[in-house]
Amino acid sequence: MKLEISVHEQACRGCQMCVDVCPTKVFEFDDEKRLCVVKHEDDCIACLSCAYICPSGAITHTGYHVVKNFYRDLAFCNKMEKFI
Amino acid sequence: MDRMSEISESRASLQETMTFLGAIASGLEEAIGESANSISYLAGKRLGTRLSKGIEKTDDVEQALCSVRKVLLDNGCLWHFEAFKTHDRPEMVMSADDGQDINLVFRDCMIRQTLFKFGHHQKGSLCNMMFGFFSGALQNVMGHDSTLEILHAGENACYKRLVIHSAAAREVL
Repeated sequence: MKLEISVHEQACRGCQMCVDVCPTKVFEFDDEKRLCVVKHEDDCIACLSCAYICPSGAITHTGYHVVKNFYRDLAFCNKMEKFI
Repeated sequence: MDRMSEISESRASLQETMTFLGAIASGLEEAIGESANSISYLAGKRLGTRLSKGIEKTDDVEQALCSVRKVLLDNGCLWHFEAFKTHDRPEMVMSADDGQDINLVFRDCMIRQTLFKFGHHQKGSLCNMMFGFFSGALQNVMGHDSTLEILHAGENACYKRLVIHSAAAREVL
């Protein structure tokens, strides 16, 4: 499955944090639209730093390898589920 | 005992070990500062040298990386990595002033998992253990020193630059 990135145009505020954080320069700032756009999708390593840093949660990735989540404490998560 | 509770039990043991390892790394960094990096590096290098003993030698960087990957798999280490080329890079392996360099993406990484479990920051002394591991293993495979520089430490993957120092580059440096 091919990795795809999308930036939700209505959610993006054009803060350029994704442009700054991306190590492979996948994003570019579109001066006309005043938004961040995906320029080099093939260069994405799926580190997901852009998705985590985006204050509006405008970036979505599909078709990427999700790392194994051994660090999650299942017992703790089950307890927290009651509150969330 | 059913399969699920067996998995939960081994997961709990693994997480305890991760917390313990994280606590050691964090404590070391607090107690001795940047020297913790050297200690972790040497521990990793020793492991890399030991696990890759008797490995077939090669001068080809990509083949050497395949050998290192095999060493990791054979020893049940969760360190999946792959060579990566961005659109603006003409070749996968390129010659630089300090030797041959190649960019690597690390996906499943037991160090990152440990750091997340413990709530510790990335790019610390434990990451240097991996740098040491590569250095030790590549020393056995290629007979050269190497450096693994962290370009970016992400939540789902890390991006690193591996430099294999040739003898000629060492003399220039």
